[in-house]
Amino acid sequence: MARFAMVTDLRKCVGCQACTVACSAEWDVPTGYARTHVRPTQISGTFPNLVSSVYVAQCNHCDHPPCVEACPSGATFQSESGVVQVDKGVCIGCGFCVEACPYDARYINPATKKVDKCDFCMARVGRGAQPACVATCTAHAKYFGDLEDHSSDVFKMVFQGGAQGLQTRAVSVGPNVYYVGRKEHLDLIRASFPPRQPRLPVAGEAWTRVLKPLVLAAVGATFAGQAVAFFTQLRKGEQDFED
Amino acid sequence: MLQRRLKKHHVAIMLLHWFNASVWLGELVTGIALISSHFFRVAPGWYLSVIEGVFGPRANLLRVHVALGLLWIGIFLVYGIFGFRTYLSQEVLRKEIALDGDDVRWLVVRVGQILGRTREKLPPQGIYNAGQKLFAIMVYGTLPVIMLTGLVMVFHLFGTVAVGWAVVLHFAAVAAVVCGLIVHVYMGAVFPEEKPAFFSMITGTVNELYAYNHHFKWWQEVMAEEREWERRHDAAAGGRRAAPTAAEDGDSGSGAAAVSVP
Repeated sequence: MARFAMVTDLRKCVGCQACTVACSAEWDVPTGYARTHVRPTQISGTFPNLVSSVYVAQCNHCDHPPCVEACPSGATFQSESGVVQVDKGVCIGCGFCVEACPYDARYINPATKKVDKCDFCMARVGRGAQPACVATCTAHAKYFGDLEDHSSDVFKMVFQGGAQGLQTRAVSVGPNVYYVGRKEHLDLIRASFPPRQPRLPVAGEAWTRVLKPLVLAAVGATFAGQAVAFFTQLRKGEQDFED
Repeated sequence: MLQRRLKKHHVAIMLLHWFNASVWLGELVTGIALISSHFFRVAPGWYLSVIEGVFGPRANLLRVHVALGLLWIGIFLVYGIFGFRTYLSQEVLRKEIALDGDDVRWLVVRVGQILGRTREKLPPQGIYNAGQKLFAIMVYGTLPVIMLTGLVMVFHLFGTVAVGWAVVLHFAAVAAVVCGLIVHVYMGAVFPEEKPAFFSMITGTVNELYAYNHHFKWWQEVMAEEREWERRHDAAAGGRRAAPTAAEDGDSGSGAAAVSVP
């Protein structure tokens, strides 16, 4: 099939935000929100040997996406090629997925009231183009391709070039957005923008911890009790006339 | 007594009952298929595939679910507003749904009977027995929750946090009704003693023996009304007839026309 992934070369990125602008223009992202995030990291080292980097991120299209698990209406799903997408026709804008994403890659569009996020520009890729951010990058620092295509740039960078996704021991959901750079760059983005634990809003916690077990127990018990009554009825048989 | 029939349900309520049952079936089929993520899923994968085959894109599932839901709310609003005095007034609720002493005792005895721990007879019941009343009370409480949370989700009312709560409360309320439905459908369609009750939802009537055995206090009310009607019509006709005795009350006798019960 295919397994799409993206790689950013931190040695080349200068944080110019061209990718953010291209993405926002392509997908009508409202002002104040973004599908991509480009932010400077902290500075490490001692003067005059200072290092800083740029954190370039969007949806990581993870191998084990916590957002897909959290969506009550099944609007968020993962396609065969690993791309996590949102079916806007099914999304009700409950926000569970926004809380669940460890990378805070999602937002709720205030106009449509539905969740929006990077979808690796599937519409553009379908036409044979590159994602908007990759096509526009002024430093040619972004790469996009199929990890199962052994001749692709991303395959070489990930499996031969040591490109790494942003994971920690606490949060390792298998992101498919990778970074190439000096060790200091990778350490900096990991230190400045670590992924957080997936979480649910209070309503979702109430469901998972209290209501869902209650519901399963109640429906199960009712069904079992009624089944027992039914078997008793079968054994007793029916009478034509009541007492 | 088996021959004579007493009217228990009028046409409007029978129509609403079957409309409700059909909508619930459609909503459960689509609703359960909509809940597909791991946190919320209650149906197996093959069920989701089958439904996908029927409805196609998931957006269609949601459209059907919302359309049925809005229609359902609309019809219930019509009944609730135009039929307020028939269905929702305090007087009706107290008469048909409120639990009295006999009802509480009935619940205790019934549970004892099911567990095989008592041979006591059930106390007399009104037009609906205590179990039916409990189901009605639960439904009256949860249906507004289901409707309101549905509307919050469809129209994104009161903001994202409210929509999140609406999701969870919608599922929980539906599950509560499903528990009640398991018993309700069993009692109506499977349990042999209540067969007359099932057909009463289609014909509107029950045979008098069933009413005498299962809803004695209601049978008494109907008999009292019948006597009152006859008394008034005797007085109007100017003639004097012997008042019917207690023995005659229970006769299947004349096969008179069914007495209408509001």
